[in-house]
Amino acid sequence: MTANKRTTKIGRTIGLASAAFTLALAVGAVTARPAEPKPTVAYIAPSLDISYWQWVAYGVEKKAAELGMNYVGYTSENSPDMQMNNVRTAVTRGVKAIVIGPVSSTSTPPVLRFLAQHHIPVAFAGIGPQPGLTDYTSSVTANNLETGRAEGQFVCELAKARGGNKIGMLSLPLDRENAQKYLKGARETIKAGGCDLVEIIQTHGLTVREAVTQANDLLTAHPDIKAIYGMYDEAGTGAAKALQTRGLVGKVGVAVADGSPTTIKLLHEGAIQGIFLQEAVGQGIDATQQVWNALNGKTVTKDLPLTEPLVTSKTIDEPKIQVTLKRVYPPSAGAY
Amino acid sequence: MAEPLHSSGTYQGALSVPASRPSMIGRLISDYRTELAIALAILVLEGVVSALVPNALTRGNLADIGQAASPLIIMAIGQLLVVITGGIDLSVGSVFSLTGMITALAMVHGFGAVPSTALGLGIGFLTGLVNGLLVTVAGLAPFVVTLITYAAGGSLAFIVTNGQSLPVPDQSYVLLNSGALVPGVVNYALFCVVLLVACELFLRRAVAGRWLYAVGSNANASRLLGVPVRRTVLAAYLGSGLLASFASVLSLSYISNAEATAGSNLMLQAIAAVVIGGASLFGGTGSAIGAVLGAVMITAIQNGVNLIGVNSFWQGSVTAVVILIAVLVDRIGKGRR
Amino acid sequence: MQAPMFLLEARSIVKSFGPTRVLRGVNFLVAPGEVHALLGGNGAGKSTLLKIVTGDLSHDAGNLVFAGHDMASPAGAEARAGRIAAVHQELALLPHLSVAENVALPLCKRGLALFRPAEARRFAVDALSLIDPAFAAEAVDRKVAELTLHEGQLVEIARAIGSGAQLLLLDEPTANLTAPEAERLFTILRRLVSERPIAAVFVSHRMQEIRQIADVCTILRDGITSADRVPVHDLTDVEIIERMGQQSAASALGPMPHPSPSTAVLLRRSFGTFHLSGPATEIELPPGRILGLAGGPTGPSRLIDALIGEAKKPIWKLCRNGQSVAPPNPHAAAASGIGYVSGDRVNKGIIAALPIIDNVMAARRIVERRIWVGWGEPAEADRLLDTLNITNGRLWALPATMSGGTQQKLLIARWLALKPQLLVLEEPTRGVDIGTKREIYTLIRTMAGLGSAIVWWSTEHAELISLCELVIAFDVQGEPTGALAAAELSDERLAAATGMAA
Repeated sequence: MTANKRTTKIGRTIGLASAAFTLALAVGAVTARPAEPKPTVAYIAPSLDISYWQWVAYGVEKKAAELGMNYVGYTSENSPDMQMNNVRTAVTRGVKAIVIGPVSSTSTPPVLRFLAQHHIPVAFAGIGPQPGLTDYTSSVTANNLETGRAEGQFVCELAKARGGNKIGMLSLPLDRENAQKYLKGARETIKAGGCDLVEIIQTHGLTVREAVTQANDLLTAHPDIKAIYGMYDEAGTGAAKALQTRGLVGKVGVAVADGSPTTIKLLHEGAIQGIFLQEAVGQGIDATQQVWNALNGKTVTKDLPLTEPLVTSKTIDEPKIQVTLKRVYPPSAGAY
Repeated sequence: MAEPLHSSGTYQGALSVPASRPSMIGRLISDYRTELAIALAILVLEGVVSALVPNALTRGNLADIGQAASPLIIMAIGQLLVVITGGIDLSVGSVFSLTGMITALAMVHGFGAVPSTALGLGIGFLTGLVNGLLVTVAGLAPFVVTLITYAAGGSLAFIVTNGQSLPVPDQSYVLLNSGALVPGVVNYALFCVVLLVACELFLRRAVAGRWLYAVGSNANASRLLGVPVRRTVLAAYLGSGLLASFASVLSLSYISNAEATAGSNLMLQAIAAVVIGGASLFGGTGSAIGAVLGAVMITAIQNGVNLIGVNSFWQGSVTAVVILIAVLVDRIGKGRR
Repeated sequence: MQAPMFLLEARSIVKSFGPTRVLRGVNFLVAPGEVHALLGGNGAGKSTLLKIVTGDLSHDAGNLVFAGHDMASPAGAEARAGRIAAVHQELALLPHLSVAENVALPLCKRGLALFRPAEARRFAVDALSLIDPAFAAEAVDRKVAELTLHEGQLVEIARAIGSGAQLLLLDEPTANLTAPEAERLFTILRRLVSERPIAAVFVSHRMQEIRQIADVCTILRDGITSADRVPVHDLTDVEIIERMGQQSAASALGPMPHPSPSTAVLLRRSFGTFHLSGPATEIELPPGRILGLAGGPTGPSRLIDALIGEAKKPIWKLCRNGQSVAPPNPHAAAASGIGYVSGDRVNKGIIAALPIIDNVMAARRIVERRIWVGWGEPAEADRLLDTLNITNGRLWALPATMSGGTQQKLLIARWLALKPQLLVLEEPTRGVDIGTKREIYTLIRTMAGLGSAIVWWSTEHAELISLCELVIAFDVQGEPTGALAAAELSDERLAAATGMAA
């Protein structure tokens, strides 16, 4: 009998405690969120395991602070499902604007539909929406096609200056739209320049380690390659390392897209001949500006295709280039 | 006491010389059948590739394969120790990544090459210790335990530098991988060979090596026999962790660049290498030679695919087919059980 | 005769598995220099007691002292390491390692020491030769996984003997040995026990063996000690059996009841007549005939493998009503009405991870090609277990909670309700005590009465003599040496025909 009484007493205490706790939570939830004086902008990255998207985040956060907005970041880990989840969560949380780097252009329609329903301005940074859609504020992307053309031409010239016309390419996964655009542009100008793109090897993990191995294999299979086209930053680092091991630095030209402290350093040293800078930070800044404009009734620019300016060892120290570099990566990443 | 009965038959007491045994060569061949099959497969593969790309069999390319394979070889040896005991180590890839980041970070902050490397190796040791203790003392399943350390380690690799990759400031660090402690032999090859020989000898000739097989074969019976099961399993996980971080510093020395995702693919490849080489995931079998050959095979396939220029989308299928053929040939050779 | 101190003192040991109290206050005292028989009926608790002594199981209450150390303390557990060697009914070998390593490994104490394969081989050959020199030379390099049950038993015994342990626990060690091997084992045991201060505990159901080898015995009944350190000579067979709680000594079970002619015709029509043909042998198996196989293991295994679909190139051919029955695999054999029960419960019978109900229903599900587990199965299973007098099994408990003998009855229960046309038995009473054996004999007779033809391999000649109408004897090479009709069966003739005394 005593045991029963004791259990009932304990049970009752637990019950009361739970009720009080739940009540406190409810009250807290209702009252703890004050009317936010500052609007919040959410940045949804496709993944945060590569520096590029982290640098975009830096840009968004910096600009948001300047414009008097709060910032919150999400990552979609390359999954369209998670991306949609993040969008919903952000809206539930009460963000006023979204800057998004989508997992892929094809995953954007449901995102845009949802955000249109909730009247939330959204800007793209880095990767644009599916062609044909219009229900968004702004799209700040690099012009991959143009860059492809420019880099292809540059690489062909590098090869010809070294007495050959064979080019090898270290490419992004070709299921991505930006990669396909790069390749399309590059093929045009390479062919037009009289050069031959002998082999393309795609990366799987976007690591330097992999790029080194792939660059080595390119050079083994085609010893007469005179220039390497790197579609992503790590490709440049990897190619430089492979050339170094083979004693071919300078004898085989390397061009790369994106830009990072590592490749800038290699540019200084002459292992890489040219970098087509993708303004990661700049994309974040510009996209944030656009959504802020939308929130405050200012004019918005629907499409902002940023060029990827070329920097070579000759132009690296020009002030114009230095300004651009600051829009590529944050100071915390490394030297310029 | 009863009288000993007259026993029938030809009982003569102990024999000191057993009846004829197969020759040493014969025994080696039958012991290492799977390994020979894989070695043969690699040779055939290289033959095919070199028919299409003559440069495949040059010294340069073979050295490239060796260099590219060396981290995987070392990690496969470590993974083998764990797999023989019937366990699995999913954390090796994260250990690889984290070790690289910590070592480079230490060097960037001014620590010398040696203390930084020691720190990096400490990561592998610590992870192995955590894995081993959770498996032996807490009795948790290896898959779950190493899944936890895989997730934690992978995340830490990003946290330490906020995901930024780090260059190695010390130019001379490359000597760890590419120098020549023994004149004429490049270091990474030296380390691989030394580790291979040491591990194989350990597994076959050290009592503790036999204990690994005993535990994997029947852990309960081993325990009853007096085998120190807990210590043995703990040692296996320590070995796996340490070797994973050694592979990482070696790779770091070569690439001169630490990335938070450096080890991501290596975990699955290490396990695949061990299994291709003949070990069973249920434990009790496996050899260092097999694991190393498995690692070489995986790397050789990748190299072959790159040299030939097979479309990237097809690479996975090619890898699958080659491994399937190699494993099937070995199985058929063993006969149906 | 009184040893000043006991090597092993177990007092008031209590052990329960869930609600089942297996040991209810057992005393067991073993002195050095003796061979001590541990006896008891099915489920009396012998295996459990031995596992508690080795440390495989923990006891719930009671004292356990080994060589003066209390086993409950950690120091005691340490002291036990390496000084008690056990050979259980279910072999505890390391399948991936060679025979030599299995025998020699317990002696390698230091991890960082060199493992010398040559020394290990020599040691293993020496230890194995004590029992079977020919086997020692031939098998020492083979992987244990390739060995048969019989060979594995030899390796386990050699390991125990060679390990230098002070206390040897042997649970039915002769179950898989031939007569000469058993004799050698006894010789070795006696020599070891007299030369060193060790003791051997011997569990067996074979009266002749017990009298041959044991000095004293302890008898367990229903979880308590009913005879504590009684010299074997002081008890008659009848007294021993009574102390075990079994019925009095089994004389012949009585003549096999034959079905009336009309029933026989009906049975023949529905079951068909089997015809077995093999090397120089042709046998008819009408419904209800019990055919015995003596000798072995090579010869009987070949025949059994052919019947159940395990042989790739069967030497024996089976026909039913003139049509060939050649199942390509055991599944086909089961589906075509051939039942199989093996005495090697662990490897060929009991599915340890599934509960009793699944084990019992297994054959039924296959033969009747059931896709769904039926609602009626628990009731069915209950009925079957009742028929077999299995009272202590809960349907949803794991088979490990049943004793070996009960598990064996379980395996027969599988086929009981299905009335297979042919029931193949492979040493079905291995490791089973007298009482349960009689129950199993009755079951087999019942199934024969219902129409099943029975093929029964046993190395216990007494069984074959009392129950079979016809016996094919195989010599040690595996060749059939002739068919003996019931009237001709006797111990001497079987021993002569098979080369084995049992």
